[in-house]
Amino acid sequence: MTGKRAPSVVGVITAARKAQKFFFGPREVLIPCYKDFAHVPSLQGRRVRWLLNAQSGRRTLESTSAFFKAFPRALGAHLFAENVPEKHATELIKRFGGKYLIAGPSGVGVLVAGSLKLGAIGGTDAAQIDAGRLATRGSVAVISTSGGMTNELIRAVVRAGKRVSFSLSIGGDRFPVTSLTEVLRLAEADQETKAIAYFGELGGVDEYEIVEMLRSKKLSKPIVCYIAGVIDEAFDEHMQFGHAKALVARQDESARAKRQALGDAGASVPETFDEFIRALELLPLAAVHDIVTDVTTYMERRPSILTTRKVVDLDSVPRFVKNKKLVKQSDNAFPAATLRALLGKEVDPVTAACAGNIFELLIDHGGHVSGAVNTMITARAGKDMVSSLAAGLLTVGPRFGGAVNDAALAWHEGVREGSRAADFVEARTKKGALLAGIGHRKYRIGIPDPRVEALAEFTTLLKKHPHYDFARQVESVTTGKNGNLILNIDGTIAAILLDIFAEKEKMSAEELGELLDAEFFNALFIIPRSVGFIAHFLEQKKNDEGLFRLPDDLLFERDNDENK
Amino acid sequence: MARVKLSEYKAKQLLLGSEYRGVQLRSGEKMEIPKGKWVAKVDQGVKKRMKQGLVAVNKPRTELQAKIREWEKKGFSQFVLEPYLAHEPSEEQYFSLERVREGIRMLHAREGGIDIEAHPEAVQTYIVHSLTDAAKIAQRSGLPEAFLRAMLEAFERNFFAFLEINPLVIRGSEAHLLDAAVLVDSAGEFFVGTSDRPGWTERDVVKTKMSHRAEEAVASLASTTPASLKLTVLNQNGSLFLLLSGGGGSIVIADEAKLLGAGAELGNYGEYSGGPSREETYLYAKEVIKLMLDAKPGSAQGGSASGRRALVIAGGIANFTDVRSTFLGIIDALAGVAATMRMHGVKVFVRRGGPNEREGLALMRDFLEKEGLFGTVHGSDSEITSAMREAVTFVRV
Repeated sequence: MTGKRAPSVVGVITAARKAQKFFFGPREVLIPCYKDFAHVPSLQGRRVRWLLNAQSGRRTLESTSAFFKAFPRALGAHLFAENVPEKHATELIKRFGGKYLIAGPSGVGVLVAGSLKLGAIGGTDAAQIDAGRLATRGSVAVISTSGGMTNELIRAVVRAGKRVSFSLSIGGDRFPVTSLTEVLRLAEADQETKAIAYFGELGGVDEYEIVEMLRSKKLSKPIVCYIAGVIDEAFDEHMQFGHAKALVARQDESARAKRQALGDAGASVPETFDEFIRALELLPLAAVHDIVTDVTTYMERRPSILTTRKVVDLDSVPRFVKNKKLVKQSDNAFPAATLRALLGKEVDPVTAACAGNIFELLIDHGGHVSGAVNTMITARAGKDMVSSLAAGLLTVGPRFGGAVNDAALAWHEGVREGSRAADFVEARTKKGALLAGIGHRKYRIGIPDPRVEALAEFTTLLKKHPHYDFARQVESVTTGKNGNLILNIDGTIAAILLDIFAEKEKMSAEELGELLDAEFFNALFIIPRSVGFIAHFLEQKKNDEGLFRLPDDLLFERDNDENK
Repeated sequence: MARVKLSEYKAKQLLLGSEYRGVQLRSGEKMEIPKGKWVAKVDQGVKKRMKQGLVAVNKPRTELQAKIREWEKKGFSQFVLEPYLAHEPSEEQYFSLERVREGIRMLHAREGGIDIEAHPEAVQTYIVHSLTDAAKIAQRSGLPEAFLRAMLEAFERNFFAFLEINPLVIRGSEAHLLDAAVLVDSAGEFFVGTSDRPGWTERDVVKTKMSHRAEEAVASLASTTPASLKLTVLNQNGSLFLLLSGGGGSIVIADEAKLLGAGAELGNYGEYSGGPSREETYLYAKEVIKLMLDAKPGSAQGGSASGRRALVIAGGIANFTDVRSTFLGIIDALAGVAATMRMHGVKVFVRRGGPNEREGLALMRDFLEKEGLFGTVHGSDSEITSAMREAVTFVRV
């Protein structure tokens, strides 16, 4: 609505998820979420100027301090919470007062028309933002102790034919971090601000700051004030109104006394709210050039419920034959295309070659393995291809095929934490956990797995290979106990892929962690093995031996009471 | 979010620790007055107790029992007993601490007592920026350093907002706190107290006035939501009942009643804000509507002469409180009693703006027209005070 081309929100601090979807104009954008300020990448962090703190009153002091520690070059914040203890508010003043512009505690934030809207100030839907003409920089500064009245005043300014230059909701708390005097100084210094509209309430003595500034001529721009709370005169005892500060403790805190003092100092102080609105009409008029927005398109926006990316470019059709000739493809074209689809980016030739090698190695490992057996049994029960394939794939798990990702998790953790292999093995065995990626039934020390040897050649193409090295160190510990506990094919695939991704694809430990969370590394098994399962299915259909039944002598049937 | 009064008993416990010899008595609980002579005081945050006869000085048990029964008849329910300290009026000093922007403001006068307000020139002001200032200020004011330090530490530890000791009697390094009043910051409750040194809780906050049942219901509802829900009963037989929204806007609307000379006709004050849900708004509105239906306007206790009553549903232009869902909550509350309201000739006057304003106002208008309760319905294009103005005109006819 202001003509900005990209969202200025850098991120959301929340433990709940990785990104949140918001509208930016008519389209949706994903804003990244971070666990805490320390997790904001420095490239993004450099753009951080403002904090919108929506935490509870109990946590406001702590989180605001953490923000300014992480982003000392920021400009300010809005602290939304009510119920920030007075003691915490004065502590915030001590730490940050005068250095940053901080709206709150409480209130609805700060607005610079056309540039900045920090908080709910001025409304939260497009119709409200349009009605308040918040995209147009105007000439009247709106300053209010009350959040709701901030918006009321903004609208009143618009109704009076003017526009808002900036607006700040001081908040109804007793100790706003940025004081009224500081905000008035900003209004006085701001060249675009020609006049000030102020809303205050009974309670507190802040309005005497205005009186003082008017008297000492530090405030020369016209100011129209409405001080609410004459109703208090109708009660026997002073009443606590909605805002913390809104209780008259001394005579000079009453609405009437403050009105009198402001009027004496030269402010315009209408008696009723209707007169206040008329007084706004009398303020100097500045030229108004609104940015016209069609609000209906904003009001008709509907958030999507599913988000994904373009996995392949549907517009670019691969061509393998041209001019009656085969087109020469680049090496490992299919593995490269597969990784491009999975990772969303072009991969290095070494990465593609490694995937190609893995794919070819893992297509099948004989008809004896459980996934293949399940596929064949299902096929012989007369089921279709997808059912038979699914039966095989559903076997993939911690004991069959699913060890690649588990092994990758182990190597990743070991390298990230700089563990010694011996301690690492000790810690795992103590917990009674199996070591994924270690151990083989057939191969052992002296009878090496030829597939492992083949893949290990990739390390010669890398400058360094910490995950592979770590896996080998673990192996040297475990084989000291049992010669079968060698680095197996799952563990090798995991280690080498981690090293290649880190060096050739320049992935950070965090990016690798995200792939691990999503079980990415199991894909390197599932993709080629699906081919193997389909081959076993086709073979069963060809042979058509009828329903499979386990021969009686191959099944051990235990009596029900045997273990009594 | 607000400064609330602590009982004198709890305040002195926090200030003096195990040295404090006071005894708390509460009506409805077992009341045991120990032997010996005591000073007994009503401990419910009442000002000028002495002048109101709410203090009994240096009296034995039987006399105190009678005195407390007398106070109970006046509606008081919480008392404190303290040992009597014989002293000269000339010994009385004034001492107070208040949290201010810069730190803690300390006021001290060597002459104190009940008449302190008549001698403002005797009062010295100090600003305490940190506890390390205690020694310097003790020296300048002549107060014992240990006393000052203990007061400041208790003040900080317990999230006090205001502390007044008047009179304070100083004898050498000994300080005697004859009367003490403490306001705590209610937002500090979560942070006060440790397992070996308890702080204060909601229970130690005194209620200066009898709470109305509806006020209690709203207070307990408010404690279960991050939204803000407040209700004060003003005149049970008033003619104008208010469902206001927004902390500031609600004062402006109530002001309008006062400016039109109808301040005494307000049955209640209060507000909902901070985005309550439909269900929360329903429960809140139900309490206000019940108050209105229980009222007998035009009775001897005041209210409008016409006997008419009006419900004013009004507020400013909300930034984020959803008009549609809060209005649905109010309609839910009105729906159950629409027939009774019609019977009493109640009309409803509405002004509200904010998110989903159009839908919210349309729903309200349809409902009120269908039920024959329609007074007016205004949106953000009309003045915030419009509904109140029309409601006042209506009850006055």
